[in-house]
Amino acid sequence: MSADRTVVFLTGATGFLGHYVLADLLANPNVCCRVLLRPPIQDSTTRLRKLLGELGLNLSALIADGRVVVVEGALPESLGVDDIRGADLVLHAAGNTVFHTNGSSEPARTNVNGTRELLSLAAEAGVGRFVYVSTAYVCGAMAGHLPEAFYPTVPPVRNDYERSKWEAETLVWDWAKQFGVATICRPSILFGDGESGRASAMQGLYVVARATEILARAMDSSESADRRQIPLRILGRADATCNVIPVNWAAEHIVRLALHSSGASSVHHITNSDPPTHQEVKGWLEEYFDIGGGRFSDASWPLQDANHYEDLFYSLGNVCLDYFRNGLTFDSECTTGLPAGMRLIDGASFARCLKYAQETNWGRASGERTDFRSRRGGFDPAWYFEEFLPDAVPRSAVAKVEDLTAVVQYTIKGAPGGSWVSRFRNGQLEETHAVPCNLQAEFEYLLSYEDLVDVVACCRPLQDVFFHGSAEMTGDVERALKMVPIIGEFIKEFPVVGEKDSALAC
Amino acid sequence: MLSAAAAIEEGVRIPSCGRALEGTLTYALGEVRACALMAGPHPFLGGDMQNNIVRAMADALARRGVVALTFNYGGVGDSEGGPEDWPEAMSAFWRDGTLPAEQDWCEDTKSAIAWLRNSCDAPLLLIGYSFGCWTVAHHLQESYAQAIVLISPNPKRHTFDALSDAPVPLLVVHSDNDFTCSVSEATAWVDALREPKTRIQLSAGDHFFRGHEEEVTQAVLGFLDDRDILRDE
Repeated sequence: MSADRTVVFLTGATGFLGHYVLADLLANPNVCCRVLLRPPIQDSTTRLRKLLGELGLNLSALIADGRVVVVEGALPESLGVDDIRGADLVLHAAGNTVFHTNGSSEPARTNVNGTRELLSLAAEAGVGRFVYVSTAYVCGAMAGHLPEAFYPTVPPVRNDYERSKWEAETLVWDWAKQFGVATICRPSILFGDGESGRASAMQGLYVVARATEILARAMDSSESADRRQIPLRILGRADATCNVIPVNWAAEHIVRLALHSSGASSVHHITNSDPPTHQEVKGWLEEYFDIGGGRFSDASWPLQDANHYEDLFYSLGNVCLDYFRNGLTFDSECTTGLPAGMRLIDGASFARCLKYAQETNWGRASGERTDFRSRRGGFDPAWYFEEFLPDAVPRSAVAKVEDLTAVVQYTIKGAPGGSWVSRFRNGQLEETHAVPCNLQAEFEYLLSYEDLVDVVACCRPLQDVFFHGSAEMTGDVERALKMVPIIGEFIKEFPVVGEKDSALAC
Repeated sequence: MLSAAAAIEEGVRIPSCGRALEGTLTYALGEVRACALMAGPHPFLGGDMQNNIVRAMADALARRGVVALTFNYGGVGDSEGGPEDWPEAMSAFWRDGTLPAEQDWCEDTKSAIAWLRNSCDAPLLLIGYSFGCWTVAHHLQESYAQAIVLISPNPKRHTFDALSDAPVPLLVVHSDNDFTCSVSEATAWVDALREPKTRIQLSAGDHFFRGHEEEVTQAVLGFLDDRDILRDE
């Protein structure tokens, strides 16, 4: 820390909102950031480098300049007071958005316990300023025009997520009474970058858009159905609003509020004062996907007499209907400076975001398809197992399968072939070695080089080459089978592709 | 009756609990002697409707005048749904070997049975393979099936109490080399089941019967022939 610089301790920097917040903090040359990253820090740093790179920032250079310091740790358990000591403010943007409590005790574990631990460490370290990123929907099912104020009693929350955010707000508000100044930021539903359309996560309104794309594709493949007369009931009112905001705009205001405190604790809605109506969103979606016919309905979910098109649409869309049905409005100082007539989300920015989403396969593959690196003029299994897996697995959903602990052997028959063994512990790929090595595999997959190429290129499911092809499973076959869908999900997330004429093109 | 090569595979969508399941109807033009619902193996153990046994049974039945419906459980292939939090579900399955979603997949089987009943006015057969044995057995009584066939069931993982609710002919086919259930365990389990029942132990293959699909389908067709279910008029 230097005397003329503000040191910010930031959590959630690799998140959808968090990396925009970090970029905006760094846009101020008088700000240095201490960034909390999950272990293993090499993997988290790689992810952050990629995200910031997409925003035009060079993380390595920022670290070399002392503008960014990465701190390895995780809330609520592995963070020390020395990690925070010396910071001028804590900006807590990390959060878990699971709606209902799961086996890992989320969302309370991160949102409540994590915030409690961070507040305790901030108090111990003598940090007197705490900025908390909550949600506008901490209000639950409250109706009407909501003020920018702390809710002293629990609102009528609709799920565990909303409850956890209110409990965290309460912890922050109570902390401020004794230890300093708190700023609570309540963004509404995040959407893509208003300028580029970019998004690193695609929930909320994206799910509705994705469902619409599925409908459009169903129309593409139907010879008899009229794509402009789809018999779809849209659950909600045409004039109700979707309070969506561009992620870059939300980050800009969170950073402004964080760096310019009035000296008193405060609550801020970062919401859209002129949000699109359902009717507008419907029109934008219909125009983008070239379909029509949906009508708004008072029916409630689940639809007892859903038709085929409704089955298709709501298979994805029902999870977020609650957030697109109520006609809430929010007090929001943030929007007072907007030029007259300017809308945060309009038809053009909406279409940009949809275009980006489609180009990145709706975020399912993190926007990347990996070109294989050829060592011997073709796909190289050694590269795949020894270099690609250790790089990609930590960034994949496999790393979230917390109970996955196993030692797995892969044997590729034919040339170029070989055997490799990987040890997974708690979802993390700890090590991979070529055989012979000291690791004793619990089970083994054996398959031909040709089938391996088909599998890693996502041309053929692993179970297909097992049931109909060359693959064998030995050892603990039941555990080997259990791992098949995990491998399948990984390959869908990180398919390996080759050049058009290579063995990996399919 | 058309030859095997002329069997028709028709893609269908089956509504189930507010979502659509991917299914395939396999049949041959001509007289319809029965319809059969094929329930496949566990989705989290690599199971889908392209499974070798599921596919072989559907093809063999179609050649004998049966309209066979195969389907993918929710979240598999092009079927909608499946666990909302995939890593969490996978983690729980890896830890405990069970999933809340298994109840959903059981409901999917019920929906597929109902869809087939509405689509085909012929005697119904229920055929399950591995995990699918449990899901078809669960709906035996309400399905009014003429017979039920369980291939490679795993009685150590699931309970089959529902078999007692409808005393229709039951066939259990298992390998003498099944890693999920030894011969002695399978024998003892079948012995304790209600009548009428038949147990066929194959000295071929293992739980998966890879490369031995023909033996399995012949065992099942023989059982159905013995009961005049597929008899020629």
